Amino acid sequence: MPPDTPRSDAPRSGAPRFLRLRAVEQRFPGLDMPALAIAALDIAAGEQVAVMGPSGSGKTTLINLLTGLERVGQGSLIWGDTDLATLSEGARDRWRAANVGLVMQDFHLFPGLSALENVLLPQRLARLVLPAGAQAEAGRLLARVGIERQGQAIETMSRGQMQRVAVARALAVRPAIIVADEPTASLDADSGAAVAQLLLELAGESGATLLVATHDAALVARLPRVLRLESGRLKD
Amino acid sequence: MLRFIAADLRRQWAGALAILLLVALATALGVVVTLQERALRLGSARAADAFDLVVGAPGSETQLVLSSVFLQAAPLPLLPGTVLAGLIADPRVTWAAPVGFGDFIEGYPIVGTTPVLVEGMGGLAQGRGFARLGEAVIGANVGMRLGDHFHPQHGRVGEPGGTHTEITYHVVGRLAPTGTPWDRAVLVPIETVWLAHHHDEADAAGAAATNPFLRNAHADAAHEGDAQEAEPLNDEAHSGETHGSETHGSETHGSETHGSETLEGEAGQPDALDAPIRADSLTDPHAPGVPAIVVKPRSIADAYKLRQAYRTDHTWAVFPGEVLTRLYGTLGDVRLVLSLVASGAQALVGAAILLVVTIHVVQRRRQIGALRALGAPRLAIFAIVWGEVALIAAGGLAAGFALGYGGALALSSAFSTASGVSLPVAFVPGDLARLAGLVLAAAIVASLPAVLAYRQSPAAALRG
Ligand SMILES: Nc1ncnc2c1ncn2[C@@H]1O[C@H](COP(=O)(O)OP(=O)(O)O)[C@@H](O)[C@H]1O
Ligand SMILES: [Mg+2]
Repeated sequence: MPPDTPRSDAPRSGAPRFLRLRAVEQRFPGLDMPALAIAALDIAAGEQVAVMGPSGSGKTTLINLLTGLERVGQGSLIWGDTDLATLSEGARDRWRAANVGLVMQDFHLFPGLSALENVLLPQRLARLVLPAGAQAEAGRLLARVGIERQGQAIETMSRGQMQRVAVARALAVRPAIIVADEPTASLDADSGAAVAQLLLELAGESGATLLVATHDAALVARLPRVLRLESGRLKD
Repeated sequence: MLRFIAADLRRQWAGALAILLLVALATALGVVVTLQERALRLGSARAADAFDLVVGAPGSETQLVLSSVFLQAAPLPLLPGTVLAGLIADPRVTWAAPVGFGDFIEGYPIVGTTPVLVEGMGGLAQGRGFARLGEAVIGANVGMRLGDHFHPQHGRVGEPGGTHTEITYHVVGRLAPTGTPWDRAVLVPIETVWLAHHHDEADAAGAAATNPFLRNAHADAAHEGDAQEAEPLNDEAHSGETHGSETHGSETHGSETHGSETLEGEAGQPDALDAPIRADSLTDPHAPGVPAIVVKPRSIADAYKLRQAYRTDHTWAVFPGEVLTRLYGTLGDVRLVLSLVASGAQALVGAAILLVVTIHVVQRRRQIGALRALGAPRLAIFAIVWGEVALIAAGGLAAGFALGYGGALALSSAFSTASGVSLPVAFVPGDLARLAGLVLAAAIVASLPAVLAYRQSPAAALRG
């Protein structure tokens, strides 16, 4: 995909409001209180937002809703002009594949494949043929995150390197939204700082909207906007 | 996607290989049972086809066929000597030849018969037919060469017995291969077999009578007294010969027997067997009896007429093919049990594999959830799980068919070496359908864990 083509379903810039979330409530069986209850949340395109809160406060629940991994049962959640609440599971999968780059605490890289193959895997699985230039873009991103041996088997890499590969993978389709759930929680301080730096830089370079769920204070301090979650509710 | 499957299988190669081998072995078991059963049926049917009609004395049809077609020695009652003469003269008969069981040579059965059988079996590959009493024609797989000389041995391999040192056969021809137990047979003139046994009995009696046939009667009595040495077949043969000779001793046989008597006295002098065989010794209505006569009728209609005509109080005619079919009918239950055992093993292996694969999918739910989170469509997840299971199963099935085919070939060749019946191992179009059916079943079974993976919620899976 040529870098300058604007996405019809995900305006990268210009739109003052990218995310519009209203009256979203998520309950889990066995819990009296909703795990998440947010009356209103708006995020502008290109914004960089930290979601903070203690363990169990609902950060992952929010991210699962924002990325379409979990269905929005109640309320509305609109990215650009896509209302995730109205999409089927398959449609949400397709929307996520095209618009969301995901970085997870446990990396979720696939052993047996090289760094480069891991970066390309989501695209390979989502479509039968790799788009032209995907390979080159993956190589560029890996170089950008400081991975030199791109053919190296992933299981032989250090944890810091692995998360950097995961960051490159999240950016490979030039998504409009980059979401990271505790990206530094399983790394040592130095590796964590490096990964945080890369996320901020790369999101800034691509103009993507960045959402980072974390309780890493050093990371939170670097993000311009901070949402505080407590028992599933936003605190102001 | 293929690369991902390949990497996945590579990473778990030991488990994948173990499952593949299990599938292969279970498949091979079924394939061997099927192929071997079919080979046995085809092979024996082909052996039975060599003879259209077999005439013997009333008794067990199965034993008559086993003896004449498969050359498995069994105690058969004898036909009166007139039957052969009658058949040879019958206008509905192309040829008829006696099958007289004699001794053995190095484990190969010696069969007394006439030159028409040599032609009837498909002719010679080498040399010429026997024309003299001391000549022999060997089956295609007999481990001797033209020009070899041998003494027949009593009884069968492994059984105690002596050697007829007084009789020496000279190999003059080799039959073309027939794929039947006759490939392991040594064909000699029936008259020489008669001779050898008169002579034998003379030994047992230790008497020297002028009339060999009368003398044989005594010998037979003595022989029956200590029946421990000779095999039952020979015992039967003796009594039959005795029966024939007691009543109608003939000049011809007398003189021949004298020849062998002479031999006994002057061992090492082969002249006595240097006499030509004589067609009229068979047509002689007083010829000694034989246990079985194989008959080539002129037409199918003649075959039925002959079978009808020779179903009397003294004779019994059978179509070997029909007897075999009936035999297989009674063996049907065994076949059923065997194929049930094979199918049961396959079903068990299938179930075990399904279990292993399902457990595997459950264990991998986090990985599968992550793939979904990263944007893999559900169909891709389904395809990956299904592809891996189907690949292993199909590989196992293919390996199993190959293994089963190899196993059946090995079994068949071992069986052929031992029995002479060549068992043709062959796939039929139905097997292809069966393989396709199994692959289809594997594909359907593989979709179970794939559906499981497909339906799994990625969010729940990622929470662990
Ligand atoms: N599938 C579920 N079933 C029941 N409770 C759940 C489920 N997922 C999350 N929860 C609960 O929802 C709350 C929020 O969890 P989570 O979003 O994972 O918090 P965080 O990511 O901030 O640690 C917790 O109390 C958790 O136990
Ligand atoms: Mg969490």
